[in-house]
Amino acid sequence: MQIEFRLNGQPAAVEAPPDITLLDLLRDRLHLTGTKEGCSVGECGACSVLIDGQLYNSCLVLAPQVEGREVITIEGITAPDGGPNDLQENFIVHGAVQCGFCIPGMVLAGEALLRRKPNPTRAEIRAGLAGNLCRCTGYQHIVDAIEATARQRLSVPADALIS
Amino acid sequence: MAQYTQIGKPARRVDALEKVTGKAKYLADYHLPGMLYARALRSELPHARIVRLDTAPALAIPGVRAVITNADFSDRGSYGFPVKDQYMMACEKVRHVGEAIAAVAAETPEAALAGVAAIICELEPLPAVFDPEHALDPGAPQIGPSRPDGKHPNFLDREIVHKDDPVTVLAQCPVVLDEVYATCHQEHAYLETEGALAVPTPEGGVTVYASNQSPFILQGNLANVLGLPSNLVRAIQPPVGGSFGGKDDLNYESSAQVAALALKTHRPVRMTFPREESMIASYKRDAMRMHVRLGAERDGTLRACTFEGLLDSGAYASQSVFTAWRASIHAMGAYKYDACDVEINCVYTNNGYSGAFRGFGNTEVCAAIEQAIDEVADAVAMDAIDFRLKNCLRVGDETPHGQLLTESVGLPDCLRTVRRISDWDRKRREYAGQTSNEVRRGIGVAALFHGTSLGAEGSDYAASTISVEHDYSITLTSGLTDYGTGSRTVYTMIVAEELGINPERVRMLRPDTNTALESGPTVASRSTILGGNAARVAARNLAQVLDLAAADLLGCDLHQLIRSQESYVGPSEELMPWTRVVDHAREMGLSLSAHGQWTAPKIRWDHHDGRGTPYFAYHFGAHVAEVEVDLRTGKVQVVGFWAVHDPGKVIFPQGAYGQVYGGVGQGLGYALMEQVTFANGYLQETNFDEYLIPTALDIPEIHAQFVEAEFSQGPYGAKNVAEPALVPAAPAILNAIAQATGRRIRTLPANLERVLLGHDLPREGPSRQCKRGLRIG
Repeated sequence: MQIEFRLNGQPAAVEAPPDITLLDLLRDRLHLTGTKEGCSVGECGACSVLIDGQLYNSCLVLAPQVEGREVITIEGITAPDGGPNDLQENFIVHGAVQCGFCIPGMVLAGEALLRRKPNPTRAEIRAGLAGNLCRCTGYQHIVDAIEATARQRLSVPADALIS
Repeated sequence: MAQYTQIGKPARRVDALEKVTGKAKYLADYHLPGMLYARALRSELPHARIVRLDTAPALAIPGVRAVITNADFSDRGSYGFPVKDQYMMACEKVRHVGEAIAAVAAETPEAALAGVAAIICELEPLPAVFDPEHALDPGAPQIGPSRPDGKHPNFLDREIVHKDDPVTVLAQCPVVLDEVYATCHQEHAYLETEGALAVPTPEGGVTVYASNQSPFILQGNLANVLGLPSNLVRAIQPPVGGSFGGKDDLNYESSAQVAALALKTHRPVRMTFPREESMIASYKRDAMRMHVRLGAERDGTLRACTFEGLLDSGAYASQSVFTAWRASIHAMGAYKYDACDVEINCVYTNNGYSGAFRGFGNTEVCAAIEQAIDEVADAVAMDAIDFRLKNCLRVGDETPHGQLLTESVGLPDCLRTVRRISDWDRKRREYAGQTSNEVRRGIGVAALFHGTSLGAEGSDYAASTISVEHDYSITLTSGLTDYGTGSRTVYTMIVAEELGINPERVRMLRPDTNTALESGPTVASRSTILGGNAARVAARNLAQVLDLAAADLLGCDLHQLIRSQESYVGPSEELMPWTRVVDHAREMGLSLSAHGQWTAPKIRWDHHDGRGTPYFAYHFGAHVAEVEVDLRTGKVQVVGFWAVHDPGKVIFPQGAYGQVYGGVGQGLGYALMEQVTFANGYLQETNFDEYLIPTALDIPEIHAQFVEAEFSQGPYGAKNVAEPALVPAAPAILNAIAQATGRRIRTLPANLERVLLGHDLPREGPSRQCKRGLRIG
């Protein structure tokens, strides 16, 4: 079947079987490999994407469910100049990255949280990351990066932020 | 104190940008034209003879291009070090559930799976061993081949440490502790599962990309089992999505399988693991049962220790012999004793198989000894930190192994620091004597020492190459893998420090056996000290050449050269840009590439006497955990954590803190929730819905600090940090639970039922979950 949706700000139309997951659609059909497969049962969050601004495990979403909706993957998170956005830059600066496999999902979880809660406490950040597993970092530097981004975003105009 | 431009200063991880943007290509992200997909048929029985294996029906499945078995490898695919008991695919029998029997390459993953299902494989069940306590019974089913020395075939290894006669000393001690502790297997739970991709080369060889730790060992294994000369086997390291000791053996097997399939089909072949297959087929941290006796005087002087450990190696040896050895060395803890006997025995069972996992034996024994130490401190009514400070190793002491510690022992400082920053004395007092039946708090401590690098496990060296490119960038290699540890950034900083250049000039490659130099395995937290020293030697060799060119250019002697940022400055104080010096070196005909090798100081260990110098240096540390225990549910929440470590010298601060935070997280999981259950050989936890690892809500804010007791032979004084960060976390938490509840949990993990009821609930699971995970049930 034909699935039409907006993907990272652009219209997308993909021919795909109706029973594949959004994760497989992204990785295997569209070759957007920044979205990772970690467990395929919705436990690890490595496959996190934003659908209409909300955080989803793409392994639990059937591809046709995104028909007409807006999907943002890690490939769609950039600064206007194509480099890392402020959250990604803070992940680098604060040492949030080790093996990196969970990181695309963590960045999207961070974006989803900051859209919902622009000024989160550290406890709220931890709750916002609770569906995303990381085995390397103990989460602390990831929390630091999201906290720093929230602070910076509150002190600059909102339209200068993510694409 | 030395002034550094890079060492200990803030730095950006060299691979962070590609990872935050999702551009880093992990194994599963590789798609090559014409690539086939591979899948393995795995054993659904814990112990069985393969009575019939017919692969022809698989070849009849549309899309299937090749099937291989053990017969497709030289020497039946035999591999393993130090005990060569494993096979790239099962040989005549299977010894654990999940062991690979055959592998299929097909045009699609679905066709590969259909091919696996079509293979006719008849297994004749054999009696199996699941309880390591009974592995050596005279009538126990035989798992491995008979031993030439006449010992029980299920016996794998025995490691000892021996100092004088602890039994006699124990009899004299007024305070004696005699307890049994047990740890559970632990799953590495790297977020990226295993995988390998093989590409046949025009010369008849193969290039293998694998999510692997030690590319040169992979290359050697592949050359052996494929019957190819080493120069026709190339191993390239893509980014690795976590490892923690877990990406050796199973990835050697998968690599050999895809390599054989690629050679057979003349097409690229990739195998990646679904999570269930990863958890069922991969090795785990071993489980240990430990009987500890400690003797002390009433004034708190520790006098004697006996420690008997039984290590369940599962179906194969893997690294268990080395794990048992490291366990034996660390079993008594970082303390002085008049007398000490350690004996670790290692046996085969059919409980999956055990291999390397961060901490490597020390994690297991530390969980026991650091609880036992606490229990003795309680018995003599001494504060747990005072007791450790009274007995712990210091510079000038001789360890129970007979090693004189001459430098770099930061343990007393670690203990004093963690006491201060955790507000230990006040909390310990406040939490004593709580009477609430609902929620109570507790605070606990644990100390550690951890031998640096391989020790007496084997020859210990690493090598780096370095060259200046025409665009004035520096290309640097190491034979050791950065699987998330940050070692590539450490090497970049070291080279920038030594050459006096901007680190952005340095392009630190991932290992490729065609360009890097063999450096032994990437294990044992040896990257900073071994690989770092090798990079430093390489950079110094190159710096020597550049200094000569600069002196020639500036018309001065070498000793007159000084540096101002990147530039060289001569006696007349003119600035000579570094790039100009590079040009001049080329004009002089000097070679602008160099290599460096560093070999660790000699150590010796007498396995018969259990005495010697097991490691050339030790990392020290102390953790304090604060917990809140809900007595109504058994739920333990760790509400505070303080970790103080002596890594010698911190080179890459962000990386070092990250190692501590991550290590504490894994230790917290080990203490409270990570449970591997082999029910008659069948793993019960096959994905993250059953195997729980800590989330951001389970791990508290961690307060980490470093004590830098520099080691004279480490790079800038550095020793190691990765493994030790995990080791004492679990006993610190268990000691905190004991303070809160007044009850000790000597079996890990301290799950709800053990905390609430004080005993286990039966967990007799079926094989269903496991078979479903393998897509065979």
